Amino acid sequence: MSKLTREDVLKLARLSSLTLSDDEVEQYRTELASILDYVDQLKAVDVDGLKPTYQVSGLTNSMREDTVQPAKADAEKLLERLPSRDDRYIRVGRMI
Amino acid sequence: MADDTYLVDGYLPTIGIECHVQLRTATKLFGVMSNDARGAEPNTLVDQVCFGLPGALPVLNEEAVRRAAQAAFALNTTPQPFSKFDRKHYFYPDLPKGYQISQFEEPIILGGSIDIVQEDGTTKTVNITRAHLEEDAGKSTHPAGGDYSLVDLNRAGTPLLEIVSEPEMHSAHEAKAFAHELWLRMKFADVSDVDLYQGNMRFDVNVSVSKNPEELGTRSETKNLNSFKSVEKAVNYEIARQIQLLEQGEAIVQETRGWVDDKQKTVSQRSKEDAHDYRYFPDPDIPPIVLSEEYIADVASSVPDMPDVWRGRLGALGVERATIETLLEARVDVDEQILDCIVAAGSDARVKTYANWIVNIEVPLRKERAQQSKAIDVTPERRTSVYDGVALLIEADKLSSNNAKSLIVELLSTDTLPADFEAHAQSKGYIQMSDSSAIESIVQEVLDANPQAVTDVQNGEQKAIGFLVGQVMKVSKGTANPALAKEIITKLIA
Repeated sequence: MSKLTREDVLKLARLSSLTLSDDEVEQYRTELASILDYVDQLKAVDVDGLKPTYQVSGLTNSMREDTVQPAKADAEKLLERLPSRDDRYIRVGRMI
Repeated sequence: MADDTYLVDGYLPTIGIECHVQLRTATKLFGVMSNDARGAEPNTLVDQVCFGLPGALPVLNEEAVRRAAQAAFALNTTPQPFSKFDRKHYFYPDLPKGYQISQFEEPIILGGSIDIVQEDGTTKTVNITRAHLEEDAGKSTHPAGGDYSLVDLNRAGTPLLEIVSEPEMHSAHEAKAFAHELWLRMKFADVSDVDLYQGNMRFDVNVSVSKNPEELGTRSETKNLNSFKSVEKAVNYEIARQIQLLEQGEAIVQETRGWVDDKQKTVSQRSKEDAHDYRYFPDPDIPPIVLSEEYIADVASSVPDMPDVWRGRLGALGVERATIETLLEARVDVDEQILDCIVAAGSDARVKTYANWIVNIEVPLRKERAQQSKAIDVTPERRTSVYDGVALLIEADKLSSNNAKSLIVELLSTDTLPADFEAHAQSKGYIQMSDSSAIESIVQEVLDANPQAVTDVQNGEQKAIGFLVGQVMKVSKGTANPALAKEIITKLIA
């Protein structure tokens, strides 16, 4: 079983903006360790000489013309659904 | 320049620059909303893609790719045949998806270089590490006294090209010169509108100092500088701050800093200890970009001459270095075709005259009009007609340089050009009087009205002649040929 410390889990939680209870930290420590074990199994496969698979669609150059189009979800509807707003601004917790 | 000339109190400063260039497109990098957030009400240029709603599908803007490919040539390299997008994860309210779509592993530009002009006129090559496409974040404001912040996502998704230099600059002057040269090139190659006031180019400077030139010191990164002056000042400030800390026996902290213009100093913003925790992975929504040889050749042929080519060309025509730099700037912030008339001027004298007219007459005129929201549009055809027509009158000794200026200002701003320039100039009273008898009668009038000055001239006071010539110019409303007037005054008094 991979070793994952409490500090590793807390750091991941901080990067993911999650608050975890002590029980959850312990739970994720075990669960994430088993995921790492699985990744270790994958790492055992010899992939020398293979190009990385970035995508499975096989598509390239899926692009569109540079012309302004009407929005599928327009601004007014998006603003109506905001949990908190201030006139036309999205209101969030103080950042700095 | 030798390394020791860069030393500040025994320390070698080293500077690398990252620049975010806003690409000139109509829409965002992955969404169909307009890119022009100038003066727009908050959250009007937004849709499901900008809001990062689940299920919203970003689709790459082909024009942004084209502009980035043009940038490659402006950086003296070619775009990569294969590049792809990755997700860069971090949490911030102005980034609703929780990740930024960027290019990490396979950027569209790898390598390249630009030459910068140093203070002494010599050039130095600064290498480019890479440049990649990415989307901009939204804009947040923090009302004073409130316990909240406000987010406007109009700017979210704006296409940016982030250009990263090698840490090869060693003075604030070189950093400023690099930023300026990049600004010229991004406009010459039509990559961006390069409007610094609108934040079209934003510079981050990485500065470190070290006593050992073989080893880099710990660096700080000062972000979001939006003028050449602030790049120069922030670098100088950081060099001095870091040396002072080291001299006091303290360590430099690797951190992000911001430039506060009011206080003329940088301040710490956040520690960069988590710098490599962006947890990049390939973006499954955006298929990779594959550029064919034909596409790359087509872009290459569309990119016009860069500033260094123009420096060589104008220099060979005898235009002075300082004038050339002003002309290159005019090509950026006044008119893309303003330089063409100089090359087509036809004679060495005209080359200098036209360069002079652009720098001293047309550029100030057009900037002034633009500021008054009365911008004038000058086609290359009109410029050539006006400049050639006025040059002919000057060469025939029919126009003083003062009146030439008035005539140029008038003709560049009117709707229709007169059919006969000389007749028009005559009707405006601009044509220089070179008829001796007409000037002689004005001179006589002036001498009669100024007996004291006449006595002064007779007593050998040369200044008095200048005064009398001035009076003749005044009476003739500026039309008398001043050299001829002086000659006649001398003759009549003697």
